[in-house]
Amino acid sequence: MKRKIFALMLVLAFLLTACGSKAPAGPTVVRMWVHTNNAFIAGYEPLIAAYETSHPNVDIQLENFDYELYLQTLQTAMPAKEEADILQLFGTWTSQYYERLAPVPADVMTIEQAKEIFYAAPIGGYIVNDVLYGMPQEFNMEYGGVLVNKTKYEAADLTYPPQWQTMADVIADALALTQRDEAGMMTTAGFHFTAADPSSFSFLAGIMQRGGDYWNADHSGFTFNTPEARAQLQWMVDAVTAGVVDPVVFNDSTNFVIDAFFQGKVGIGYIGTWAIAEGQNNFPDFADEWDYLYLPPTQGDPVFVADSGWGLTVSPNSKNQVIAWDFVKFVTADAANARQWNIASGTIPAMAAVAESAEIASVMPWVPKALGLLPFGQYLGNMPDRDLVVYEIIYPHILNALQGVETVDQALLAIDTEANSTFK
Amino acid sequence: MNLIGSRKKGTEPKSRSGLAIAKMRFVAGVTFPLLLYESLGIFVLAWAFVLMFFDYSSGRLGGPILGLGGSNPFVGLRHFIEMIRGTSVEANLFRVSLRNTLIFAIAILPLNLAITLPLAWLLESIGSRFKALYRTIYFLPVLTSSVGVALIWMSMYDPQAGWINAIIRFFGGTPVAWLSDPHAGFANISIAMWAVILAYLWQDYGYNMVIFIAALQGIPQELKDAAMIDGANPWQAFTRITLPLIRPTMLFVCVMTMLSSFQVFDIIQVMTNGDPNNQTQVLMLDIYKNAFRYQNLGWAAAESFVLFVIVMIVTIVQMRLLRTDWEY
Amino acid sequence: MTATSFPAPIRSRRPFPWAKFLRRFLLYFALTLGISFTVLPFVMMIFSSFKTNLEVLRVPPTFLPEHFTLDNYVKIFNDPKLPLLRFYGNSAFVSIFNVVTTLFTSSLVGYMFAKFEFPGKRILFGWFLTMMMIPSQITMIPSYLILAKLGLINSLWGLVIFSAVDAFGIFMLRQFCETLPNELLDAARIDGASEWQIYLRIILPQLGAPLATLGILGFMQTWNAYLWPMIVLQKIEVRTLPIILTWFNSTHTGQGALVMAATVLIILPILIVFLFFQRWIVQGFTMTGFK
Repeated sequence: MKRKIFALMLVLAFLLTACGSKAPAGPTVVRMWVHTNNAFIAGYEPLIAAYETSHPNVDIQLENFDYELYLQTLQTAMPAKEEADILQLFGTWTSQYYERLAPVPADVMTIEQAKEIFYAAPIGGYIVNDVLYGMPQEFNMEYGGVLVNKTKYEAADLTYPPQWQTMADVIADALALTQRDEAGMMTTAGFHFTAADPSSFSFLAGIMQRGGDYWNADHSGFTFNTPEARAQLQWMVDAVTAGVVDPVVFNDSTNFVIDAFFQGKVGIGYIGTWAIAEGQNNFPDFADEWDYLYLPPTQGDPVFVADSGWGLTVSPNSKNQVIAWDFVKFVTADAANARQWNIASGTIPAMAAVAESAEIASVMPWVPKALGLLPFGQYLGNMPDRDLVVYEIIYPHILNALQGVETVDQALLAIDTEANSTFK
Repeated sequence: MNLIGSRKKGTEPKSRSGLAIAKMRFVAGVTFPLLLYESLGIFVLAWAFVLMFFDYSSGRLGGPILGLGGSNPFVGLRHFIEMIRGTSVEANLFRVSLRNTLIFAIAILPLNLAITLPLAWLLESIGSRFKALYRTIYFLPVLTSSVGVALIWMSMYDPQAGWINAIIRFFGGTPVAWLSDPHAGFANISIAMWAVILAYLWQDYGYNMVIFIAALQGIPQELKDAAMIDGANPWQAFTRITLPLIRPTMLFVCVMTMLSSFQVFDIIQVMTNGDPNNQTQVLMLDIYKNAFRYQNLGWAAAESFVLFVIVMIVTIVQMRLLRTDWEY
Repeated sequence: MTATSFPAPIRSRRPFPWAKFLRRFLLYFALTLGISFTVLPFVMMIFSSFKTNLEVLRVPPTFLPEHFTLDNYVKIFNDPKLPLLRFYGNSAFVSIFNVVTTLFTSSLVGYMFAKFEFPGKRILFGWFLTMMMIPSQITMIPSYLILAKLGLINSLWGLVIFSAVDAFGIFMLRQFCETLPNELLDAARIDGASEWQIYLRIILPQLGAPLATLGILGFMQTWNAYLWPMIVLQKIEVRTLPIILTWFNSTHTGQGALVMAATVLIILPILIVFLFFQRWIVQGFTMTGFK
C-alpha cells in the first residue's frame, strides 16, 4: 500500500508541476520584488494601480521582503532562475548581480539619456562596464542630514534653529541634550551617529574632506590605513568619549536611530531622509516637534560619498521584459510619477528635474537644503560586495573602536585588510 | 485471537518457503520506494559534498554541470587549509564561530542537566495532585516557536524598558545592555552569550524534564523502598540507585542536547544575529551567512562538513562513555 | 535499665514533625521558583499584548497594563495585509501532512528494521543514523535548486516533499518494535495473514504511544520550522506562521505591544493542541523505552 500511496504522491507532484507551467489565461502577471519599507510600498501602490488601469491586461504583483531576507532571497532565487520580473535593487548591488540582470534596452533609455536625467551618484550605481542595468529612484544621501528634536532643544535652553558653523558646535549642543538615569545608563543620546549608515558614511566623507581617498589609484583595492582615516576615526572616538552617545546602548541593532528618535530618546539623530517617512509611518503618536537639518562639513568643501540609491531592474529570465521595462520607465523616468513616489517615500529624488521642482520644495522642505550639497556627492564606487564592505567590515570595526573594543589603529588595519580581501 | 475475522476462503497456511518469499516481498515493497526516495537525498548530499572542494558563488554562472567549474573553480582542500592557517576574514570568523559553538554546547549540557534532573526528581517525589499541571507548564516553552522565544526575550532584555533590568534596578543593581554590550562578560564568556544561553535553556529544559520524569517513573518502587530500609538517606538513594538505573536515559538526553545545541540557529539569528562583535556568532549562523548572504557556497559547505565531523565525534564519544548494560 | 539488643538505627527514621514539613515546603518552594521563572516571560508577553505601544516603552516598565486595551488584537485581525486564517491554514497543512507521512514511514520502516533480516540491512540502518547528524544547512541549497527545477518553489508541496522520511522516527519505532513479541507475528503468519495485514492490524495498533509522541513532536517541529520555509516560500500567501512573525516584527518596529499580540496569536494554536493531546505525550515518553 505504501507503494500505491507513494505512486499517488508522485503523480500528484507531476500534476502540480504541469498545472504550474501552463500559462494561465487572463492578465499577464508581472511580479515585482521590493524590500520592506512601508513608506516605499505606499509610494508604489498608487503607481501600480494607475498602470493597471491604463493597461487592463497587466497584473502587477508586489511582494516585499525584510532587508536581510531580501538579500538571501535574491541569492537563492537567481541561480534557480526563480526571481521576479522586476527587482528593486540598491544601485551599488548592481556591480555584484549584473551578470544576472537584463541591460536596459536602448529604446527604453540610453546611457547618455540616463546621465542627463539623473544625478551622477544615483545613476553611477546602475552602470557597470559602460552598460546600464536599471533606473534609480532615490538619491541615497546617508551623509550630512540629521533629525533634530526641537522640543528637547527648547527644554535644554539651546538656540533653535541651531546655527552650526563647525562640527564642534554640533557636539556642544549634543552634550547639553544628553541625559542619563541614576544608574548611569544613557536614556537620551545627544548625537546618535552610531548606526551603520551614518557612522560609515560620515567616516568616508571625513576621509574625503580631509583630502584623502579610500580607493587606490586604479580602483582595484582600498586604502583605509591612511592619516586622513585615522584623523576621522579618532574624531568620532573623541565625540563618544566626550559623552554625546553611548555606542553600547545606541547602535544599529539596539535603539536604532529612527526608532530611538521617534520614541524621544535622541536629541540629534544622524540618518538619511528616508527616515522621515519611515518614522512618521511607524510612530504616528510621536508628539515632539522636530526638523531635518544638515550638518556643516568637517573641513573644507562638503565632499561626500553617496552609494546610489534604490531603483528598479529587470531580470533576463522574465517572460515579460517589454512590459516590465515599460513599467520601470513609467515609475522612474516619468517626472510626475517619480515625484509622487519620492514624496510618499520621503527620499531625495534621483531625477534632477524632480529634485529641483517647486512641489517637492513645498512638501519636503529639507530637499532644497540638500540641493546645495548634491553636486558634491561622489559615487561610492563599484565594489565586489557593497553590503559586505560597509556593514560587515567598515561598520563593525568602527563600532569596535567607538566601544573601546579595538584601538583606532587596530580598527583601521582590520578594515583595510578585510576590505581588500573581498577583491578575490 | 481472531486476526482476520473469518478466514478468507481459499487461503491456507503458507509453507515455510512461501513464508520467506512473502517476507522478502514485504521488505522489497518497503525498501524499494524508500531507496528511491533516499536516492534523492543521496544526490543532494553528494552535491553538497562536492561543493566544499570548489569556490562556488551563486552569483556567478560557472560551468555547465550544476554550475561547477568555469568561474566557480575547483580548489581542492584550499578551504580546509584556510580554516587552519588562513588569516582572511572568513577564516577568522570561522574560528570565532567554532569557539563560540563549542562554548555554547559545553555550557548548555551541564547547566541543562543541573536544572532538569533535580527538578524532575523533585517533581517525581511530590504527590500527583499538581504534578500534571507543573509538568505541562514546564513544557510550554518547548512548544513555543524559536522566533517567539527570541522576540519575547529580546523584549525582556531591553536595556531601558525590559523586565530583567527593571528587576535588577529594583534590587539596586546596575542594569546591563544584555544583548549589545561587547565589554561585559562573566567567566570569560561574553554577557550576550550568557543572555542567549539563558533564553535557550528556558526554551529547552522542559523537554529533558519530561524525559527524566518518565525515566524516574520507571524505577520500581521496591528498589527505592529497599534502599530506605537499608538505611540510605535520599542523597545516597539517588546517587547509588536512581542514577545508574537511568543511565540509558542520560545517554539519550546528553546526546540529543548536545546535538541540538551544536546546531542552534533560529533563536540566535533572531535575537542577535551574531552581535555584538561576533560574540554570539555560532557555526550554524556562519554557515548560513556564508551560503545565503555572501554567496560563498563552497566555503559554507566546507564549514558544514567540519560541523558534521565534530557532531559525529562528540556523539560517538558520549555513546562510549555512557554505554551500559544493566539489570535490575 | 537493661540495654535492648536490637541494633541502633543508622538514622532516626521518625524525624521531628516540623522537619518533614520543612522539607516539603522547600520542595514546593524550589518547584514554584522554577515554575515562576518558566512562566514569567509568558506573563510579560501576555500583559504586553494588552498594553498600548507607548506604554511598553515606559522606563521603568509597568507590570500590569495601565489601560487595558484590545486594540492590538483588533488591529491584527482587521489588517488587510494579514490574512491570519490563511497562514494558520498553511502551517496546519504542512504540519499535518508531515506528521501523517512521517508516522507512516517511520512505523513501517522501523518495523521492518526490527523484525526482518535482509542483505544490506546494517548499511541502510547506519545510513539513517548518519543522516540524523548532518546539519541541514549543507543540503539546503542543492535541495532548493532541485525544487526549483521541479517547479515546486512557493508551493507547500515543495516544502513537505523532503520530509517524508524521518531518521529519528525510524530509530525510535525500531526500538519500540523490537519489544513486540515475535510469537505474535508468527502466529498471524501461520493463520495466513499477509505481511501488510500484519503491519496494519497487529503492529500498528500496538504503536499508539510512540506514534502519538512522534506525532506531537513532529507537529510541533514543523509548526515552528523557520529556516527551510523561509527559503522555499517567497510569496506571502503561502508563508507559514514563524516567518510571518519575523516579517510582522520587522514591518512594525517600535510597536512592541502589537508584536507581542501577534506572538500570542501564533503560539496559541500549538499550546491548545498540546493541552488536548498531552495525555498521550506523557504516555509516549513513558513507554517508548527511554529506560
